[in-house]
Amino acid sequence: MDADTTATLTDTTDFKVKELLKEVHFDQTPAVTKLVDDTVSAIKKAISKIPDDLQVTADLAPGFVRDVGADKVDFKFKKPKTIKIGGSYCINCVVKPVVNVDLFVGLPKECFHEKDYLNHRYHAKRCLYLCVIKKHLMSSPSFDKVEWSLMQNEARKPVLVVYPAVKPVEAPGFFVRIIPTATSLFSISKLNLNRNNVRAYNRGGISQPTPKYNSSILEDMFQEDNADFVKKTICRWQELGEALILLKVWARQRSSIYVHDCLNGYIISILLSYLVSLDKINKSMKAVQILRVVLDFIATSKLWSRGLYFPPQGQKAVSKEEREKYKESFPVVICDPSTQVNVAFRMTSIGFYELQDEAALTLQCMEKCRDGGFEEMFLTKIDYPTKYDYCVRLNLRGHTEVQTLGFCLDDECWRSYEQKVHSLLSQGLGDRAKFIRVTWRNSPLEWNIENGLSILDREPLIIGISVSSVEKVFSVVDIGPNAETKEETLKFQKFWGEKAELRRFKDGTIAESTVWESDQWTRHLILKRIIEYVLLRHLSLSTENIVQIVDQLDFSLLHGAKDPVSFSAILLEAFEVLSKRLRLIEDIPLKISSVQPLDSAFRFTSVFPPEPHLLAIEKHSVSRLKLIPTCIQPLEVMIQLEGSGNWPMDPVAIEKTKLAFLIKIGESLQNKWGMTCTATEDDVNVFMSGYAFRLKILHERGLSLVKKENGNKPKRVYSTDKILFIRGQHASMINGLQGRYPVFGPVVRLAKRWVASHLFSACLVEEAIELLVAYLFLKPLPFNVPCSRVAGFLRFLRLVAEYDWTFSTLVVDINNDFGPDDHKEINENFMSSRKMSEENGQNISPAMFLATAYDKASEAWTRCSPNSMELKRLVAYARSSANLLTKLILEDQTDSYRWECLLRTPLNNYDAVVLLHRDRLPYPHRLLFPSEVNKGRHVAHGNASKAFRPFLLPGNVKGSSEELKTKLMVDFDPLSCFVRELEKEYSMKLKLWYDSLGGDAVGLTWGRVCSKKRGREEASEDETDAIDVLRGVGELGKGFVRDIYLLKAPRLVN
Amino acid sequence: MGSAEKKKKKFNSKKRNYPQLTDNDEILNTVEEENKQNKPTGKKKVKRGKENNVEVSKAVQSKIHDNSPKASGEKKRNKSKKKRIIEEKNSAPINEFDQHGAEDGDDADNSNDTSQVQEEIENSTRPGKSKKAKKKRKKDHDLLKESEGLAEKSTEADEDEVYLISSGDEDCSKGMKKWITEYHQSRPGLKVLQQRIDEFITDHEAKLEQERKEREARAAEGGWTVVVHHKGRKKNTDSESGIVVGSVAQAAVEEKMAKKKKNEVGLDFYRFQRREAQRNEIMMLQSKFEQDRKRIQQLRAARKFRPY
Repeated sequence: MDADTTATLTDTTDFKVKELLKEVHFDQTPAVTKLVDDTVSAIKKAISKIPDDLQVTADLAPGFVRDVGADKVDFKFKKPKTIKIGGSYCINCVVKPVVNVDLFVGLPKECFHEKDYLNHRYHAKRCLYLCVIKKHLMSSPSFDKVEWSLMQNEARKPVLVVYPAVKPVEAPGFFVRIIPTATSLFSISKLNLNRNNVRAYNRGGISQPTPKYNSSILEDMFQEDNADFVKKTICRWQELGEALILLKVWARQRSSIYVHDCLNGYIISILLSYLVSLDKINKSMKAVQILRVVLDFIATSKLWSRGLYFPPQGQKAVSKEEREKYKESFPVVICDPSTQVNVAFRMTSIGFYELQDEAALTLQCMEKCRDGGFEEMFLTKIDYPTKYDYCVRLNLRGHTEVQTLGFCLDDECWRSYEQKVHSLLSQGLGDRAKFIRVTWRNSPLEWNIENGLSILDREPLIIGISVSSVEKVFSVVDIGPNAETKEETLKFQKFWGEKAELRRFKDGTIAESTVWESDQWTRHLILKRIIEYVLLRHLSLSTENIVQIVDQLDFSLLHGAKDPVSFSAILLEAFEVLSKRLRLIEDIPLKISSVQPLDSAFRFTSVFPPEPHLLAIEKHSVSRLKLIPTCIQPLEVMIQLEGSGNWPMDPVAIEKTKLAFLIKIGESLQNKWGMTCTATEDDVNVFMSGYAFRLKILHERGLSLVKKENGNKPKRVYSTDKILFIRGQHASMINGLQGRYPVFGPVVRLAKRWVASHLFSACLVEEAIELLVAYLFLKPLPFNVPCSRVAGFLRFLRLVAEYDWTFSTLVVDINNDFGPDDHKEINENFMSSRKMSEENGQNISPAMFLATAYDKASEAWTRCSPNSMELKRLVAYARSSANLLTKLILEDQTDSYRWECLLRTPLNNYDAVVLLHRDRLPYPHRLLFPSEVNKGRHVAHGNASKAFRPFLLPGNVKGSSEELKTKLMVDFDPLSCFVRELEKEYSMKLKLWYDSLGGDAVGLTWGRVCSKKRGREEASEDETDAIDVLRGVGELGKGFVRDIYLLKAPRLVN
Repeated sequence: MGSAEKKKKKFNSKKRNYPQLTDNDEILNTVEEENKQNKPTGKKKVKRGKENNVEVSKAVQSKIHDNSPKASGEKKRNKSKKKRIIEEKNSAPINEFDQHGAEDGDDADNSNDTSQVQEEIENSTRPGKSKKAKKKRKKDHDLLKESEGLAEKSTEADEDEVYLISSGDEDCSKGMKKWITEYHQSRPGLKVLQQRIDEFITDHEAKLEQERKEREARAAEGGWTVVVHHKGRKKNTDSESGIVVGSVAQAAVEEKMAKKKKNEVGLDFYRFQRREAQRNEIMMLQSKFEQDRKRIQQLRAARKFRPY
């Protein structure tokens, strides 16, 4: 597209859609058509060489014939009646990346008997016919590979997949599917929905109707006709084809609806043709508008309950009785133009609900999201791990229970098993779950159909569960039927076994119930326990075959065996007491008017909320023989005093006055309540109930004082009060959000842990992470609000990896109170910041533009970091972590090591690595994985200092409590001291990457070496320099640094 | 050993004569590498020679070394590195030298490690450094600056020694001990802190008082003072001088201003205003359009349209 046409596009969505179409549409260029024609004619030629009247017996595929249970399958081979291209290629709607051409091979009538529709004889012969073709194709040099695949995951209907030997660049992975068709092979009336055609399918000797089996044959009989019909419709005008492509892209991004029991390309094209025939789509519509009509129809139309029937063209309309019949046999009816076959016969009601839900969500995206929801519709992958809150994998390989009744009757055993698992879970979970999706893909790679169908259970069965609400999921009791209703009580007891209890509830009712006792911090595991209990009780599975994705990452948040968040209640209680005591203080000149918590531990988003410390309790007994940590994390609390005109005006004097106030407050608390107070020139801490609270005063007048700008730097420097104010705003905002979404806290904690463990602590501050996660909860589209920590965490990773940071703002609008003016203001801020960095030729800053109500110019958290280089790295890490996590959830992986890899950062990505003494970290138990380096040059080794130990030695735990308290170190963190000194000394030469949460490794990368022209021979001098620098680094961290390794000498930047 | 020393000197002189002869150095390097595999003794010699151009005293050390029971190559590597550091220290200003000396002493205390023993040995040999060597060093100082790096580089490139950092427990200049000390020093107790604040405030007030007095003096001198509009809480009189400043309440002023605005002519009253507004709007649209176009180009460049 040249500049002129770009200029005519006023709407970016239109342009984007055009670009998208260009990207995904498989263009039928001359080269491509030649390739297709060549391949097809080669196939035709190979088939024409097959001798007529070749005797075909079951021996070609004995396993298959046995497993479908067919008899009398021998026939004499005849050449196919027709061979022609069908499917999306013939309507020019092939969507990349899956580039294939469907080739319809018309099965000749001579090979079949009149009654071959019975007992899978047709299916067996169909397969044998393909076996013959396959054998002959294999011997031809024109084909690289010929493989088996399944038609819509239906095992009794295999198809051949042929890869040509020629591999053109235009069509990577191109293949041809050979699909047998059976036009007018059998009498249609014999395949009526009410008829039983599988004799083995009976209940107590009475044959049951086999609608699915019949439809399976009917589908083949009308395949060609319907393809012609679709072709005629779609080719009527161009936008229809485009809309079809868009719909396919839309559906493919949603793995929960683009599966065998829901949508496929064929159904989409029929649906589109149907809407054309109803005149719901007209020629003036653009592709996106057509898409919208289709989605709207899916989501809201009442016609679905009646079934979709094409308006009669000349022939008779479908009678009411027939409709009733369809309705009885199938949950969803989309009758084809011939009115003989329900093309949606594989669709389940669950699949359809899911489809409706997705369509409705997408319509919401179109309304609410930027650019008409383009990204959410087409570019966002909505797979099980991100869509569903809980994912469960059942490994059913070799599980004979699946096929006890035989592989194929009316339905196939795998589909019945899906249904069974679904009904079990929906009964077991009750109103805890909103959606339960069970799908089992059965097409293994390199499958030999000759060996039968037992191999089709290779892939795990996947269950996705959307939770109705977190409160329900976390509830401990499920109330069953009232004790008076005998029948239901019995049913309940039968289902739950010994788990069923008769209980009396508060309102006086006596009812059957199940109770899942658990601690507050393990509530998210209740669902897991229920699922496991139900599946183990009703299916003969072993525990190791049930893999539930729930708690695999919890290890990173635990202290020992317990989640420290369980202490939050004690903490909040202590805070309440503290704020009461503060307000009661009388002996200071100004009264305390408000007390507000600042630390993330108060809002449940701290990775490690502190546990009560033995020595920080007012009256403690030292008799306990527990290891007592030396360090204690202070928790910041913001205080406001009542107004006064006597404050000094000078900023330094203000700070001094504040300190004087705080010391007075501390003394008062000490005298009245016996709370110990320690202070430095910068902060005042008081000990209470095992916590150290750090008091800060917000002085309102300080807000208007902006610190003098440093030199000519345009960046604003916030005053201490401004920073405090913003932190206070942020704290209350996030606290509110946490109250609305209980899963918010755990997701933030995982996200923070991830960021830190990949040594990004210096790049992304805690508050920024909280805002990013908040965005997931506030703008969840195209998903629902995440209700589990794993799903939330994965979405966080995807957000970081996929968001368009360079060109977009990320607006976190917690209370939904931004009007158009606010958005305009934010956008203007964004534009001016981008423009400024463009003009100055600097790196883009802020690279990550986070706007909130209290900070519309993204100055609070991401002004300096991450810079664009750091962000790039962060994005790359997030992407690979997200991919790994997705894989871990979906694929058969059970070892915990791979899960650990999500948080185990590869140290060889740094130019040099400093390893620290693990036993000198202030909180050694927070270390996830001890780091080791075996690459590079070992530059230095250091001994550990004896001056500091993370735990008090038993010998030291003596003396009075006051004495002991002096041994307690508030906020002492050797890593931050080390980092501070390094920054001071080497900020030009080195860039630091560290984990502030307790990692034992610091990564170093060389800063930009000045661009002096240097000769080659001096290149190794850099290494010397490097070693000297690293030794200096080691010296600065004496007693703390264990080893230093040099992996890469600085690169020369010219 | 004598012959070895001679050889060293030879190398030395060579170095001094052709300090910039880096090629030579590289050759040495390659020789060294070859020797490494074949003749360990040869390698020693060459190396020693090179080291010597840095410091002659090493000869003595290497002697000691050779006598030590485990004369493994590794040890030597360790040592030569140590030496370099010491050398650096030597060239450093004197006070720093002292510091490092103390540090070395610490190391000696902790000496369980063989490498530390070596360091001790080095320390003992240092005072005995010959005057000659010192002289030489001074002379060569400038040249050394260049050649030193090269020589060091080449030795380092070959060697794999590990620099040892002391635990630093006995000196507070760097590292963990320093941080701990700083931590404790910053907590002198509430009383002391209070005192400091009091001192500060007294000073501060004295300063303010001084300023006030000066101002008053100036006012008295000239007989008049400049009245400045005060921000914040409005007072009729300046608390310091008692002079009446602005007497209108802030709220009143704002109210007045608000009223005033109403009486003003609307923004679209004059034709030129409307025209300007129109023009502005068009300009805005144009710039927005430009932005969109730019963005589209960027998006296309980033290939943001591929859903897979």
